[in-house]
Amino acid sequence: MESGPSAAAGANIEGESPQVEPTVETDDATITDGAELERTLGLTGGLAIGIGTMIGAGIFVFPGLAAGRAGPAAAASFGIGAIVALLVALPTAELATAMPKSGGGYYFISRGLGALAGAVVGLSLWFGLVFATAFYLVGFGYYAVDTLAEVGIAVGNGLVIPLALLFGAGFTVLNATGTENAAKLQNGIVVLLLSILIFFLGYGGLDAVGLIGDPAAPERFAPFGTMPILTTAALVFTSYLGFAQIATVAGEMKDPGRNLPLSIVGSVLIVGVLYVVTIFVATSAFGSDQLAEFGETAMVDVGRHYLGPIGAFAIVFGGLLATMSSANASVLSTSRAIYAVSRDALLPRWASRINLRYGTPHVALGLAGGPILVLVATGRVELLAEVASFLHLIMYGLICVALLALRRDEPEWYEPDFRVPGYPAVPAIGAIASFALIGFMQPVSQLTGIAIMVAAAGWYAYYARDVKLKGAL
Amino acid sequence: MTRVLVPLAILEGESVATGLTTLLAPMDVTVLGYHVLPEQTPPDQARLQYEERATDALVDLTAEFETAGGRADHRLVFTHDREQSIDRVAAETGADAYAITGVTGPVDRLLVTLTGDVAVDRLCSFAAELVADRDIGVTLFLATDDEAEGRDVLEAAARTLSERGIDVGIELAGDDPAFESLVEAAVDHDAIVMGEQAPSLRSLVFGEETERVAAESVGPVLVVRRLEEPEDAVERRD
Repeated sequence: MESGPSAAAGANIEGESPQVEPTVETDDATITDGAELERTLGLTGGLAIGIGTMIGAGIFVFPGLAAGRAGPAAAASFGIGAIVALLVALPTAELATAMPKSGGGYYFISRGLGALAGAVVGLSLWFGLVFATAFYLVGFGYYAVDTLAEVGIAVGNGLVIPLALLFGAGFTVLNATGTENAAKLQNGIVVLLLSILIFFLGYGGLDAVGLIGDPAAPERFAPFGTMPILTTAALVFTSYLGFAQIATVAGEMKDPGRNLPLSIVGSVLIVGVLYVVTIFVATSAFGSDQLAEFGETAMVDVGRHYLGPIGAFAIVFGGLLATMSSANASVLSTSRAIYAVSRDALLPRWASRINLRYGTPHVALGLAGGPILVLVATGRVELLAEVASFLHLIMYGLICVALLALRRDEPEWYEPDFRVPGYPAVPAIGAIASFALIGFMQPVSQLTGIAIMVAAAGWYAYYARDVKLKGAL
Repeated sequence: MTRVLVPLAILEGESVATGLTTLLAPMDVTVLGYHVLPEQTPPDQARLQYEERATDALVDLTAEFETAGGRADHRLVFTHDREQSIDRVAAETGADAYAITGVTGPVDRLLVTLTGDVAVDRLCSFAAELVADRDIGVTLFLATDDEAEGRDVLEAAARTLSERGIDVGIELAGDDPAFESLVEAAVDHDAIVMGEQAPSLRSLVFGEETERVAAESVGPVLVVRRLEEPEDAVERRD
């Protein structure tokens, strides 16, 4: 394998070449030939990105849907998701410390496995994030309608999609005109959310195990057998999309050798535990049939069950914040994904232009916001979630493969500060588990995902066939 | 040799008044061109697009300092956090002071404020080095409620400066309100030298005092950095 900056080669159909420059990474800055890039994110910032992206979907939108499919065993589905996420998070952390630059999963795969795999992952990730954002926004729409209902304005579910569209457009415009202190706000939201959830889960958990309140009616753990547990795991895996987003800001993180692994693995552990406990509490409060009937906002009824109107209000408010924070974080990640591929000449360079007035990547944000609104309009929660998971799982699987490939004949530049424990079993199982989870999705989601990947490969063949990225740091 | 960092929002067209380039001629100058980006923009994305433009501007600015008779180099940083970049580069270059650029013509008289928890000796020797052999007067300023001790401090400091042939004046103000009396004293001066303050609740609420002085006085402010902070203070941003 070649190594060093000379490995990036070729040009796309417009004659643009990958922009790869030799850099020196320190704990405080990335130093290129003529400029320095400040590292400004700390550990809390990294955790906030991971938790803030992940926490919205799983806890607030899925309990009803998942319980309807798998019964109380939905908690196991979330557990499986957490384990898969963790198996991928460890390799991601190693690669991120070896290549602490912006770009994340796409970057590792294009450098480890070459430009074709990179293009497929990079472009699919763009759409994967678009699907995920659309899913978060639809979830947000349900919570917005419930919020209105909670304050006494019953508008019905007809307004879910219009509200989601409105906020989707709002986030895009907000991000394009520059959001001061958005990260601090995001940190605040994450802290608030965690407080609401921990209080709620603490109380609900005590009740669920029968220490306080009325004993709950016991229910069979897996009334529908094991298969639904796995298909549900595939559905709810969307809840765990977000930890790899931390790697996309690796170039901005202080002391990356320490903070990247801690925030990637830490956010998966925190979120995984919260999810499993939440589902346990939710299925203990109601039978899973009833939970399924409540649908996307079943958690509100769980909150009401335990803590009355205050509980319902807290959950409605939390759900609103969580889906909002997930959606916003994903819009931003999408524009970063577009930047990463356009820097490597897999998309036209103008796609990553930023304007000097606001300092924001307006073109990329538009390329994120436009398709998101189209998908929100479909309103298909489960399909949106599964396609998002599908495209991310492909990337996660390939991250593990890229790690195996890089470790097999370690190039000279490969010096990660963090190494996966249990190599090669952990990345190998991570890859297999990621790809296997895809097998349990609905055929329509699988076909949509495959179509997007084929289109991405076709685009590469047409537009950037000559671009070589393997080993180009 | 004493080094002064001159941070400039380079892509916003921030520039240096001729008065300041001339004033800094006896010093080594590092022009720090920075560009602050909102959180949603990766710094590298901005570098790709604007590095060349920013470097051109920096080279021109550096040349201006050299024309004025000083020695200058430049650095370019893309960042989300201006303060952090200035602190880091100041520490890396071993800069003794940094400049908050303002508008000024030729500098005839400096105001050096000794108010607060600052190293009087460092401030005085910095001022002396800045004045060098030039015909620039210095006013030492101190606001305190302990008038007797304040006068002692001022007179002792004035003595060390006048021994080096500098035209020194002193100005003592009551403690209340120190900031306003400093700004008032600044009116008759072309530039201000002050010490970097320790972070406090006050600076958290109202902003850095140095920035406020610069905003109120319009002219340039040279901030003499505090010496090496203890390790735990460096970690606090995490």
